[in-house]
Amino acid sequence: MIIGLDVGSRAAKAAYYTDSYEYRIVSSHSWQDLIDRDGIIVSTGYFRKKVPHELNVTEITTAIYGVRHFLKEDVDAIVDIGGQDTKMIDMRRNDFRMNDKCSSGTGTFLEYIANYFALDVSELQNFHFRAKTSAKINSTCSVFAQSEVVSRLVEGYSKEEIINGIHHAFARRIAQMLPGNARMIALIGGTAKNKGVVDAFEKELGVKVLVPPDPQVVNAVGAVKYYLATERDG
Amino acid sequence: MLGITALVPAEVIYACRENAVDLNNFVPFSEFQPDDKLCAWSAIWRELILRKEVEVDKLVVVAGGDCYNALVDGEKIELSGIPTLYFIYSFNRDIRLMEENLDSLVEFAGGIKNEKAFGEIADLKQRAMEIDSLRTEGKLSSIKAFEIEISGSDLMGSPDKYGKAIEALEEEDVDFDYRVAILGIPPIYKGFHEFLQSIGLHVAYDEMPFEFIRHSGRNLGEVAESYVNYTFAGNIWRRMEFVEKQLKERNIDAIIHFQQFSCHHKLEDIILRERFADREGYPYITIEADLPGSTPEQARLRLEAFAERLAGV
Ligand SMILES: Nc1ncnc2c1ncn2[C@@H]1O[C@H](COP(=O)(O)OP(=O)(O)OP(=O)(O)O)[C@@H](O)[C@H]1O
Ligand SMILES: [Mg+2]
Repeated sequence: MIIGLDVGSRAAKAAYYTDSYEYRIVSSHSWQDLIDRDGIIVSTGYFRKKVPHELNVTEITTAIYGVRHFLKEDVDAIVDIGGQDTKMIDMRRNDFRMNDKCSSGTGTFLEYIANYFALDVSELQNFHFRAKTSAKINSTCSVFAQSEVVSRLVEGYSKEEIINGIHHAFARRIAQMLPGNARMIALIGGTAKNKGVVDAFEKELGVKVLVPPDPQVVNAVGAVKYYLATERDG
Repeated sequence: MLGITALVPAEVIYACRENAVDLNNFVPFSEFQPDDKLCAWSAIWRELILRKEVEVDKLVVVAGGDCYNALVDGEKIELSGIPTLYFIYSFNRDIRLMEENLDSLVEFAGGIKNEKAFGEIADLKQRAMEIDSLRTEGKLSSIKAFEIEISGSDLMGSPDKYGKAIEALEEEDVDFDYRVAILGIPPIYKGFHEFLQSIGLHVAYDEMPFEFIRHSGRNLGEVAESYVNYTFAGNIWRRMEFVEKQLKERNIDAIIHFQQFSCHHKLEDIILRERFADREGYPYITIEADLPGSTPEQARLRLEAFAERLAGV
């Protein structure tokens, strides 16, 4: 068995491969729970060197392998929206960027907003699609966004419209990282499970957004694929 | 001790029988977190002096050309009673401006008393240039070469000590996958070259540290003619021309542009990227640092991914 083990800043993901894949996701602090069986471990994510492994590789590389596994289309860019940071891989120029300065444009920002409305992040999408219009939110800096949210509430916008607006601001923020001529992108990472984010991406960016079936385990699968591609022949 | 805050011709300081100390030496190892800051480099050496953790009798602040932020930090030190000279590089290779600044430096440091120092230091820098060639040929680790080159600014507080440090080096075989250049400000992180080596990246060109050993002269006039070509202080077109030659001569595979929060050089990233990545096709990554310390995990991740991308895996 090959175990692709992606221990990120927020969640630990495992892809177990024998002849088909099986997945598990736990909190980062409980990563040990994922290696309760024997196998060759290929690690990735921030903690890739802190966990047992035969081979370790960055999540930039695993994202490329994982996306190729799940999607048959050649995307122009991959955007991995994790808990702590967002990584953009420009597939045509073999270049990548990260927003690593603050939590704007990352999963943590949406958790912060969900928390403000006493919701779970997984509920944000339901509110997004119930909105009739979108409240204009300019900032995705957690501090400024909160004051904008309060202003919009005072102006009479509903929770739904504000959450919809937050998703649009979020997409615009990440759009700044994208190469200008991108037509088709893959969205991965736990935050891509939020269909409201995907919807906002398509509307704001005017690009085709592809999301693998479980976007959060793409890097874990990519770690397995990387092992298969590099170790078996060499 | 005469403190310097960036490249100031050390040969002039020693010829005046003063000892130079580059205040930046202390910064990567400092844990001090200044509140009142633009660039962490200048804010930290300012505080180290004001808090008397580093003792200097006089200070030469480079306040134009390669650094602009240091101006007010220098004024704060001057206010505390330490004699301070502001050293300005010419943007347009104006030799007269260079000479005027050197004359002020001589006067500030008490006048030339040991003309011999010029020649001795020119010889030492020649040796340092040989060290630089060794690293380019992969016969010396970039960790050791960096140490010698970056110390070219103050010659480790004594030309004697510097000479011994050079003599102590021995050729070695360096194992690496790719030859990279670091452009921009030297990393404020300690152990940055060590980290790069651990992921198979050999720094075959350190832009600014190389400038620290490249300039010298056997008298004041020659010093002026050499330092007026200090590329990091002049206009970016000349600098890029020079850098491009180095990249080619040293067979560089990829570029790391290191920049510092709040530094005006940060704005050059787009110009450098356009020239070297878009036009010349070098793989290019920008790392921006703020406070000193060891290299943060996010920067490590990006650099490691950069190395993986170079391998095309
Ligand atoms: N069902 C869901 N709906 C919306 N968001 C979700 C859902 N499940 C997880 N998330 C978000 O996904 C994020 C975690 O994603 P992921 O596991 O990709 O991050 P990570 O790899 O730990 O982070 P990083 O890559 O930054 O180190 C969290 O911020 C969480 O809020
Ligand atoms: Mg991740």
